Amino acid sequence: MTPHGRQALERCLHSPRILVGGIILILIVIASLGAPIFAPHDPQEQDLINTLLPPMWQAGGDPSYPLGTDGLGRCILSRLLYGGRVALYVAALSSLGAMLLGTVLALLAGYFRGPVDWLISRIVEIWMAFPPVILTLLLLLALGAGVNKVVLAIVLIDWTRFCRVIRSDVMVVARKDYVAAARLVGFSHVRTLLREVLPAVAPLVLTMLSLEAGIAVVVEAIMSFVGLSVEPDVPAWGVMLADARSTMNQAPFGVVVPVLAIFLTILSFNLLGDGLRRALDPRLVTSRGRA
Amino acid sequence: MADVLRAKNLTVSSAGGIAVLRDISFAVARGEIIGLVGESGAGKSMLGRVIAANLPGGFHVSEGSLDFGGADLTRITGEARRQLLGREIAFIPQEPLTSLNPVLTIGQQFSEHLARIGGLPRSAFREHIVQALADVRLRNPEDLLQRYPFQLSGGMCQRVLIAMAFAAKPALVIADEPTTALDVSTQATVVQIMRRLQREQGTAMVFITHDLRLAARVCNRIAVLYAGEVIEEGPAGEVLEAPRHPYTRVLKAANPVLSGPRHRLRTLPDQMPTVEAFARLPGCRFATRCPVADPACAAAIPTLREIAPAHFVRCSDACGERAAALVEAEPILVPPAADKGSEPVLVLEGLSKHYPGKADWLGRRKPGTDAVKNVGLTVQRGEFIGIVGESGSGKSTLARLIAGLETPTDGRILVAGEDVTRADSKARALRLETLQMVFQDPQSALNPRRSIDHIVTQAMEPTGASRAERLERARSLLAETKLSGELLERYPAQLSGGQKQRVNIARALCVTPHLLIADEIVSGLDVSVQAQILNLLLDLRAARDLSLVLISHDLAVVRYLCSRVVIMHHGVVVEEGEVDRVFGDPQHPYTRQLIAAVPPDDLDTPWPAPVAVEPDNAEGLERASI
Ligand SMILES: Nc1ncnc2c1ncn2[C@@H]1O[C@H](COP(=O)(O)OP(=O)(O)O)[C@@H](O)[C@H]1O
Ligand code: SF4
Ligand SMILES: [Mg+2]
Repeated sequence: MTPHGRQALERCLHSPRILVGGIILILIVIASLGAPIFAPHDPQEQDLINTLLPPMWQAGGDPSYPLGTDGLGRCILSRLLYGGRVALYVAALSSLGAMLLGTVLALLAGYFRGPVDWLISRIVEIWMAFPPVILTLLLLLALGAGVNKVVLAIVLIDWTRFCRVIRSDVMVVARKDYVAAARLVGFSHVRTLLREVLPAVAPLVLTMLSLEAGIAVVVEAIMSFVGLSVEPDVPAWGVMLADARSTMNQAPFGVVVPVLAIFLTILSFNLLGDGLRRALDPRLVTSRGRA
Repeated sequence: MADVLRAKNLTVSSAGGIAVLRDISFAVARGEIIGLVGESGAGKSMLGRVIAANLPGGFHVSEGSLDFGGADLTRITGEARRQLLGREIAFIPQEPLTSLNPVLTIGQQFSEHLARIGGLPRSAFREHIVQALADVRLRNPEDLLQRYPFQLSGGMCQRVLIAMAFAAKPALVIADEPTTALDVSTQATVVQIMRRLQREQGTAMVFITHDLRLAARVCNRIAVLYAGEVIEEGPAGEVLEAPRHPYTRVLKAANPVLSGPRHRLRTLPDQMPTVEAFARLPGCRFATRCPVADPACAAAIPTLREIAPAHFVRCSDACGERAAALVEAEPILVPPAADKGSEPVLVLEGLSKHYPGKADWLGRRKPGTDAVKNVGLTVQRGEFIGIVGESGSGKSTLARLIAGLETPTDGRILVAGEDVTRADSKARALRLETLQMVFQDPQSALNPRRSIDHIVTQAMEPTGASRAERLERARSLLAETKLSGELLERYPAQLSGGQKQRVNIARALCVTPHLLIADEIVSGLDVSVQAQILNLLLDLRAARDLSLVLISHDLAVVRYLCSRVVIMHHGVVVEEGEVDRVFGDPQHPYTRQLIAAVPPDDLDTPWPAPVAVEPDNAEGLERASI
């Protein structure tokens, strides 16, 4: 491992942000992936006798519904756990997609400059001129509803975020003499990009990936809240919120639980991203020259 | 004559008890300049920071005193210190550009500075500043007040800082490498201005530099520092012309000269010990590298002895009996004749590179730059050719054009007889066989994420060579560039400047090129390390069939290595010819000006000569040199 890498890893392991964010995120991932094991009920199973039950520790609660039930008598805990799968699915796919598209274009623009850069930068500028919410809605209107359409919409909108930030870093790295030297000793453009430029911007990419995942969780929640994401019979946090809205006064817990889950997930991604940014910031890593 | 500053047995120790500065004594009187000369790591800046009462964390003065007008600078704190610094003691920094606040105009910063000093009504500031800027020979000072630092050249920024330093009429000025970041001719002007203000105000001055010859020009006395000790101190002229300590002698003989016979430069093994290594050097700290050390040297710390009036040397061999052997010069170099019979390695015909100006949003273009204009050049096999010019003269652009990193706007490039002007894949393959480039800044030229063995054998990566093959090749390349095999698995950040530059060279040698293009490869290095690299290039010429295009702003370096030289100015070749002819009998006024800007070896020749005035770039919003 390079001294750079070792130092970075050490700083990561000593960053409270990364540790806290990471642990919360791991717990969320385990809970969601293990939903079939941990969930006491089928998330769709209705128990019309036991609707709007409070959580088990409150008066009238039922231990077989630890977090209570919603207006149709479905187990809130089970829906929460299964809803996490949707959130993580969207977070992972859309942030990876946006990262891939944005980073590839950023590498091309920042490395080749000239007309390539001009074209990509203009597209980014035009793209970013639209307010993202309106753009999402427009896209979903055009693409139709569905969770994969939400992923696609997020990728199509948020790649610009990656592209703009990473491009300027690529430009700095591409000017380094070691990049020119790689070309002179016979590296092809692709090899130079992958072996010399990409490793230098990887920390930034990683940081943005984490922050983007947090954004994706919010977007998915909003979209499933308004019914543009998953099918109505799929449990998602936004759907839970929408369902619990009408019964909020009798059973506030139905709203509190998904909100809390969304909050925790975003918090973990943001802590992680912020921690990574601080721990990996190349501007902090570069050692100064001779005195 | 009263001493303004007097250091007595000053010792600065780290938290671990290692003396980073040991037993330093010197004094500087009113109107006098003392030069602190040494290579990087000698402790020059540390000494500057003691005077500024600004020691880095973990270091403390463990012994001795630093007397300034009756006060001990090592003891004062708080308000008293603030009163002294800035008002009584002023500083001129090394990096003029970074020392000014980028978001404030020159006028704002100067006013702030005057307000801090006090003693002047605000209404008088403007007039005072304009006068001060005019005093440092800045043109249009009125206009300058509105400018931001980035709009000025390095030399102009430095002059502003000099004006600010002298504004309070301080008793003492500390200048830490004030001209290192500047071009030679700018250096001459800046030094001249500094000296004039110092003389007019009768200021005492501490001039910190790595350049012995410059120090001898500027200073009355010189103290040579090595590994945290003063190893020689004496009158400036004596220390330069008749150095007595073995280190000073070698330092002098490691410096290429602009006149007289060309001796092979003397080098020292390794480099200056680091602070951690001091603990293992109980005796003379130079003992491990000293060419005339004897066993006693490593045992006891030699004392600073007065060997001539006001001339002190810290060496057990103070009378120089053993060091006399060092006086014998190294052999005189005879550059091999260029092989004119075979195909030249490189031919440039009418080569030009024009950078178009930036267009604004209406599509109106600013005038562009002709970075290189109509340059013709032939490099024979085995020939070392120098390209000289100040920053911005187009040297780097020319190097990049030859290397194929830029495409020319006009003209032809022939490498080994083949046309490679159009940088297509055929040209790329041709270049790969023939030429390599060594980059200026090793910090930027070595990927911090690659280990040394990977860097030097980078050229083998696309060929799919095995790990064992690469390791073996890396070993032989390190040996050829006289680097220890232990470095194979290190990373660039763990290497010294000189080692990095050798790695840089080793990487270029991996593909066995016939032509090396070296852009300012020794400009950031210490004299003794520079000598090692220059000699390495000479040895490589003998061992390999190698030609060199050496780009440098340092005339003496070019004279040492090259047989022919090309002088560039604003992208144009203004003079070309045999090195001795060009430097001995320059024809073009610009060449004459460049030569005049270099402090002559002979201390009796006045410098800067009247012609050595900077081609004032006050109008040009010149980029900082890169
Ligand atoms: N990529 C570029 N774009 C625009 N102008 C440039 C570029 N590179 C160099 N120049 C300009 O070309 C001139 C010569 O620069 P350079 O070749 O770096 O000189 P040197 O190496 O002698 O300092 C300068 O005026 C510089 O500003
Ligand atoms: S004391 Fe000995 S080792 Fe030190 S400089 Fe003198 S001769 Fe060399
Ligand atoms: Mg240059």
